[in-house]
Amino acid sequence: MSAISARTSMNSAPVTSDGRPIVSLPPGAGAWDRARAQADAAVNRARLVVVPHRGPVSAPRLPFVMLVSVVLVGGIVGLLCFNTQMQQSSFAAATLEQRAASLTARQQTLTGELEALRDPQHLAVLAAKAGMVSPQNACTMRIGGATSGECTPATRGTTPSPFEPRPAKPRVLTPAPVVVQVAAPATTTDDDAADPGRRPGRGNNADRARAGAGRG
Amino acid sequence: VPAPSLRRRGDGLRGSSQFRLRAGLVIIAMVLSVFGARLVQLQAVDPGAYAALAAAEGTVEVVLPAERGDILDRNGAPLASSVDGLMIVADPSQTEEAAAETAAFLAERLDVDYIETLARLRVRGSQFQYIARRVPSTLANDVLDEAAVLGIEGLSTRRDPLRTYPGRDIAANMVGFVGTDEAFGGLEQVFDDHLSGTDGAARYQVGGGARIPLGTNEVTPAIDGADLQTTIDRDLQWYTQRVLRSAVGAARADSGIAVIMDSRTGEVLANADYPTFDASDPADYPTEDRGARSINLAYEPGSVGKVLTLAALIDLGRISARTRFVVPGSLARQDRVIKDYFPHGNLRMTTAGIMAKSSNIGTVLAADRFRRGEMREYLAAFGLGSRTDLGLDGESAGILPAPELWTSQTEDRIAFGQSVSVTAIQMAAAVNTIANGGVRVSPSIVKGRAVSDQGITSGTDTVVPRRVVSANTARQTTLMMERVVDPEDGVAPGARVAGYRVAGKTGTAQRVGPECGCYDGTFSVSFGGFAPADDPRFTIYVVVHNPRNGGGGGSVAGPVFSQLMAHTLQRYAVPPTGREPTVLPTTW
Repeated sequence: MSAISARTSMNSAPVTSDGRPIVSLPPGAGAWDRARAQADAAVNRARLVVVPHRGPVSAPRLPFVMLVSVVLVGGIVGLLCFNTQMQQSSFAAATLEQRAASLTARQQTLTGELEALRDPQHLAVLAAKAGMVSPQNACTMRIGGATSGECTPATRGTTPSPFEPRPAKPRVLTPAPVVVQVAAPATTTDDDAADPGRRPGRGNNADRARAGAGRG
Repeated sequence: VPAPSLRRRGDGLRGSSQFRLRAGLVIIAMVLSVFGARLVQLQAVDPGAYAALAAAEGTVEVVLPAERGDILDRNGAPLASSVDGLMIVADPSQTEEAAAETAAFLAERLDVDYIETLARLRVRGSQFQYIARRVPSTLANDVLDEAAVLGIEGLSTRRDPLRTYPGRDIAANMVGFVGTDEAFGGLEQVFDDHLSGTDGAARYQVGGGARIPLGTNEVTPAIDGADLQTTIDRDLQWYTQRVLRSAVGAARADSGIAVIMDSRTGEVLANADYPTFDASDPADYPTEDRGARSINLAYEPGSVGKVLTLAALIDLGRISARTRFVVPGSLARQDRVIKDYFPHGNLRMTTAGIMAKSSNIGTVLAADRFRRGEMREYLAAFGLGSRTDLGLDGESAGILPAPELWTSQTEDRIAFGQSVSVTAIQMAAAVNTIANGGVRVSPSIVKGRAVSDQGITSGTDTVVPRRVVSANTARQTTLMMERVVDPEDGVAPGARVAGYRVAGKTGTAQRVGPECGCYDGTFSVSFGGFAPADDPRFTIYVVVHNPRNGGGGGSVAGPVFSQLMAHTLQRYAVPPTGREPTVLPTTW
């Protein structure tokens, strides 16, 4: 494309502050002369002048294309990297979260174990096995050496047992068998055997035996 | 002229707009065909598989369980705590083949039953079977890792928060326990909302097991439950429970209760019940042992009630500790003859003597000086007949007969602690009123304050002290109670604590049997008192129900009181005051 530019140019005629041309006329010139001079000045002012040609405008295009490409490629690569980084971080976060959860669990387990060791029952059992006893009465020593109170030596009797009481033994360990005399059935027929009313006889005997043992 | 250059640039096929349009159309058609083919593949060929994949890989919604708050003792030691637990579940469709090996492995590592596990691993048509619930997560993860190494398939874990009671039976009667889904009894139930917090939720997209960073991600964080600190001293609670267990066992009794209170603040330091239960294994214990008898079992207190009667009379100015009474061997009243536990003729006793010897007749004679309604007012002021609201559920108010049922015969019996029902915690608070210089402080087991599910606020911050009797009355009553443990004049020398001044009162009450609703010949024996008598720090109340060794309050409950008091004074480093007890005359 050829760039043709033109511009209007005004003769450098003197003008008034409001833009009207100043026409210098000899003294004594008539109104006609004045009008004519003004017309000439107006024509001079309106004449178009060709702007001198300065050769084709050849701004280098490569840097611009390069810049746009670099921005584009850089943006895309950056976005890719950013995305990849986010994904990596996500995986890292997931791994770390899992680790944190497992460490929390570990900490809780250890706290639990510690609590189990600090449990007064556990300590009392250990102390009892080591033969330790707790005092009933202790003395108070004041700063200066004076003691007050009555101290008595600690004994087993003053120590509460940490162990569950043993279940009470039955009074008779080998109870005598309870013999129940049962009249032998006279004649057993098939009908009798099938009669459900008579069959639980064995069960009744067993019940009676149990009741007897309970009383003994 | 620019025209030639324009033409030169537009030369060739590429410049033709028609060609470009056609080429574009072809490319668009190709791309759309690919889309169409993919659409057909997705929707027509195997939609099920892709839907399943999408579900697995898509948006995940998880509940973020709020951690339940701990229940702590007064020093911060946990009585109940929450642990991150897991449940191990099996998919029988995968475990069926190697069920025997898997079951053997699980039985060895997880303490589960082999036969039952084997059956669960072989359930047909199921893809979800519980193997073990509430396994500590470290153990569960270890087991799954080992299973993976051994090539065992079909096991997985789910979140399953775990409530642990490190002390097992320590304070179980007050703490209660949490079942699979809800809290049962004790503080766990009363303060369930306070402890449980609010579950949160997370909704996010996952891919390859990890959260997609730019995908949907909405998180409502869980609000963890608040801790609940109690006034209980765990070690003292343990000691109290063990001493009480020995005592109940030795007396071959039905049950026993021991309450230890800080005299000045009303804080319950220990509140033992026997028999009790193991909070980590509650199913093994009968239901009646899983509560707190100290607050839900009402019984007749017997002679410990004389403390309240005589203190009220002194406060009214009707008697003093030295008032003289002639106590006959028996006292015929309207409907029955009142007797003392020991036979005697006419005795010349002071009020202090009546207290020291626990004379029913003397107390009834003194109580004759009440005007109508006064005694009931005093007992109500001591806290009888109304709940202490210390923060436990199922509390009994006891029975203080209504004014219209309050006859002179009733008054006679109530004077020495029969025909009136109390709970152990009520009675401890009533005796503590004397220890605290006549000011009753309501007992509390919650440190600070906490609001129950029913909206009742309780705790040490809410305690309102209320004067019941004058300081002088409390002092005189204390001096009389000191005579009870006197080896010569008193009935409970076994309750003494060497080196300390101790004030207390025995009680041996006829017991109302649960079957007949009448006195069934069994007894409740008790001892309530405090030390040091001249500067009270701790109030201890012990009651043993139905001892079968023929013992009374002085011989069964007294030594328990003594042992607990000695231990508590040592534990809190309370030195003896070093003053000798003043000797009030018991006879004249």
